[in-house]
Amino acid sequence: MRPAALALQQFTLQPLTLQLRRQPGPLLAQIEAALRIHGEPLRWAITAVEASDFDSAGVLDSLLTLEAVLLV
Amino acid sequence: MIASALPTLLVIPTGIGCELGGYAGDALPAARLLAAASGCLITHPNVMNGAALYWSDPRLHYVEGSAMDRFAAGLIALKPVRQQRLGLLLDAGIEEELRWRHLQVAEGCRASLGLDIGPVAVSDEPLQVTLSKGASGASWGQLGRPEALLRAGKRLKEAGATAIAVVARFPDDLGSEALSAYRQGSGVDALAGAEAVISHLLSRELGLPCAHAPALSPLPLDRGLDPRAAGEELGYTFLACVLVGLSRAPDLVLLPAAAADLLRIEQVGALVAPAGALGGAAVLACAERGVPVIAVQNPCVLQVNAADLGLEVWAAASYAEAAGLLLALREGISPAALRRPLPRLVV
Repeated sequence: MRPAALALQQFTLQPLTLQLRRQPGPLLAQIEAALRIHGEPLRWAITAVEASDFDSAGVLDSLLTLEAVLLV
Repeated sequence: MIASALPTLLVIPTGIGCELGGYAGDALPAARLLAAASGCLITHPNVMNGAALYWSDPRLHYVEGSAMDRFAAGLIALKPVRQQRLGLLLDAGIEEELRWRHLQVAEGCRASLGLDIGPVAVSDEPLQVTLSKGASGASWGQLGRPEALLRAGKRLKEAGATAIAVVARFPDDLGSEALSAYRQGSGVDALAGAEAVISHLLSRELGLPCAHAPALSPLPLDRGLDPRAAGEELGYTFLACVLVGLSRAPDLVLLPAAAADLLRIEQVGALVAPAGALGGAAVLACAERGVPVIAVQNPCVLQVNAADLGLEVWAAASYAEAAGLLLALREGISPAALRRPLPRLVV
């Protein structure tokens, strides 16, 4: 949670659609890191997953579409 | 004798047109069943809110969606309370007559249900809600003046509110195809995405239980109304269910905290979510923690399933089957033992 002092500063809510190539390891941290490049995630969801397959290392290879609203 | 409760999260994301749960509190019967099966169900306003209709059950914990995400991530715990003191936040963009209607809902809930409501605050400028739809078909939305929402919420918190019900003026879209489809049971709730943005923003910034009701002009009679949308056509406002839900919503306690009577993610024994909408923060956090995920067949506009995400889940064809799986987990029966064929152990 952000400190209350920051909460009253000017900010906007921005919609974002983002594609993310999944990397090995926990997915949640990858998503949050990708969104934080653009702002602070307020609401998001994976809304599509494309052509999933397992790579040679046994890791699921997939392209995720994220829809989000960010605090900017 | 029944086993002790199995705290369970129920997620039915808002604004994605779920066949069950995509309308006016039409997931409530399923939530009641899962609460009975688990003994403790934590779920969010989209599941519980039926406009003028609601259900109160001590086994059901009403937790706003972003707070559920933070709970699943282990950032907060939940503390059951006897009663919240509800602050009522009204958008300055609501016309006077509609504002009176909402105040009278609050008065009715005080007089007839014994809820503790007040302080009341009006935002210092209209919140300017707009609606939008993502490429997926999910509903989203915006606030033109988010800082006005937070200023009013902060005033309520300083005046002693321990939970906040927000009423924002939403654009009327009388005659729109989306509204017509929704009322006839075939569309996505166009308001839901913006509602979630409002309650997420307020809850995460103030750390209080929050929920939202839209203020809209009454709709003309539709004789083809789908039963799942009927809860929203019974009165002038959608506020009653929000006030009832928030009245016993658990406190949100920032972790680490030492209190002993907290409900923590470590105690959660299962999560139930639509099989095609597994790409949300609470589902992923639970799956990554090893919490069993029950994926229920509940068609919606998304198709983000367990195989796509590499998740192991228990599949259920209905919420009735999910209740059976919860009961099995609660009683310490492996769900695998209930299915056939039963594969041999691999040495």
